[in-house]
Amino acid sequence: MTAVQATGLGKRYGRRWALSDCTLSIPSGRVVGLVGPNGAGKTTLLHLASGLIEPTSGQIDVLGDQPGSAPDALARVGFLAQESPVYARLTVAQHLQMGRWLNPAWDDGFAARRLDELDLDPRRRAGTLSGGQRAQLALTLAVAKRPELLLLDEPVASLDPLARRDFLSTLMEVVATREVSIVLSSHLIADLERVCDYLVVLVAGRVALVGDVEELLAAHCRLSGPRRDAADLPAGQIVIEASHVDRQSTLIVRTDGPVLDPAWSVTPLTLEDLVLAYLRRARDDGAERSSDALAVSR
Amino acid sequence: MTRFAWLQARSQTLIVAGLLAILAVLAAVTGVQLAHLYSSLVAPCRASGADCGFAMDRFISHDSFLQGSLQLLQRLAPAIIGAFWGAPLVARELETGTSRLVWTQTVTRRRWLLSKVAVVGLASAVAAGVLSLTVTWWFRSLDQISGTQFGDFDARGVVPIGYTLAAFAFGVLAGVLIRRTVPAMAASIAAFVFARIAVQQWVRPHLLPPRHLTSSLLKADGFGFISQGGGPLDLVVKGSGPPGSWVLSSQLVDHAGHATTTAQRMAFLHKYCPFLPTPTARPKDRVHIGPADDQNFRTCQQAASRAYHVALTYQPKARYWPFQWLEAGVFVLLAAAALAGCYWVVTRRLAS
Repeated sequence: MTAVQATGLGKRYGRRWALSDCTLSIPSGRVVGLVGPNGAGKTTLLHLASGLIEPTSGQIDVLGDQPGSAPDALARVGFLAQESPVYARLTVAQHLQMGRWLNPAWDDGFAARRLDELDLDPRRRAGTLSGGQRAQLALTLAVAKRPELLLLDEPVASLDPLARRDFLSTLMEVVATREVSIVLSSHLIADLERVCDYLVVLVAGRVALVGDVEELLAAHCRLSGPRRDAADLPAGQIVIEASHVDRQSTLIVRTDGPVLDPAWSVTPLTLEDLVLAYLRRARDDGAERSSDALAVSR
Repeated sequence: MTRFAWLQARSQTLIVAGLLAILAVLAAVTGVQLAHLYSSLVAPCRASGADCGFAMDRFISHDSFLQGSLQLLQRLAPAIIGAFWGAPLVARELETGTSRLVWTQTVTRRRWLLSKVAVVGLASAVAAGVLSLTVTWWFRSLDQISGTQFGDFDARGVVPIGYTLAAFAFGVLAGVLIRRTVPAMAASIAAFVFARIAVQQWVRPHLLPPRHLTSSLLKADGFGFISQGGGPLDLVVKGSGPPGSWVLSSQLVDHAGHATTTAQRMAFLHKYCPFLPTPTARPKDRVHIGPADDQNFRTCQQAASRAYHVALTYQPKARYWPFQWLEAGVFVLLAAAALAGCYWVVTRRLAS
């Protein structure tokens, strides 16, 4: 089953398309990293998937159903909004009370245990919590709801490095102990590397790269060798990025088999290198597309 | 969801409940004093049929600071509730992003909105009811001796509850449209003040078709002559309706029932009352010639009463309570319309 299936999905705010013609499929049972530069449409996609907003065009299915405002659909999806909003005037305990009252499948044991582990005083007002504690409280609320799919929108973006580490550890514990699919957005690849096993790269509202992290890493490599034209690579090797200096060429290629040419020295890519290569390619494509459009309009 | 809505609204509700309790105690103590003053000062005088002007004046001016404060509070309270309870109800959630937290719990927006509106709306109505009951009770003997109950129509009885519900609903609507608390508070007050003025000016006098009455000039409450800037004299009459009624308009009409013009009245006075002295005032001064024990004045009044009558439109005293309920109903309808708008925006527009 797919966790999120989008077909030609688009969302317009006024005249601006925050997401356009997005088609992607996110499998369930995975921890999916949703990466992209700021303004790529990550938040819009997650809001559409959580049912907070409705698409302008196209279709989105979440866990095989239209996301939405009906209680059944709401119960199956947990959502942690950007900046982890909580009620500043309510105490930590009152937040759990809210979760208990508003969610039929609420897991009180989990929530209490988490609070204990976090060493959070239940009597504290949420407005006095640090950013990291607030994010942890919001995550506790989202997980204790027992969703099948948990959507996290830039959960660590505003946290300091220590709080970021703590949050991601909690998240990995959740992954290990509970049956839940997770989609986690970030513009920092390093955050995702530790927790994600599946990757979706979104650029300007379009999917630039999608797949299992290990498979993606296995299918890409960096070739460096004497300068040569990228066009005379064997079939099955697709150049993602090429850079040439003087006598040397460095290529990042996608390949379906081992690279046999002895002229190349082959090195594996880190996830960050890989994502950056695709982000640059998408950016250059975009620039090309807009210069095409410019040429046409002339 | 109702329990959670109450959890969010609890502290503000308890604060207002506490303030109302203090006010009620204050009103009870001073109200008893006031009632005592009435029964010892005004009631015996009225029963004896003597001229009670002095006693009444003393009674009416008793505790005028508290009177003024209560009148003001009663008139301001709906706007305050609209701004501080209505406007932030949804706006603060949208502003701080907690709407995204609560809308992704297992509760529909419809239930979320209805619960919040029901809990805080009910608290608003109860607060307004308690305040109005306190104020209406406190003023009961003062109102008894005032000419018409319609004078303080908007600060007594059930209309304040209607006002408060409307102000609250305007606040919620401003909040969902503007999505920011402080501008929404200002907008809710502006909308409420506009609605109050509009209803008072254009709706209240016509809630039921007014009654008409024609009476003799000799029975009028006030009769006199007026000249502006030393110009020719004009007739002025202040008609009075049946006891306790609310006079909407009073004008001089001729025998055929047509309204008279200033020019006609001036011509009349010139012709039939040439003996009246014309004031030699500085320009822009208004000089009234009162009913001095002056034979001329009476002669002229007699002459005028044969030519003209006073035509009144008024609402009778017995319509006070029907009007209270009708005007409260108008505001409840306004509140319902505003809340329907909120429902539409929250379930449809905020999702798109």
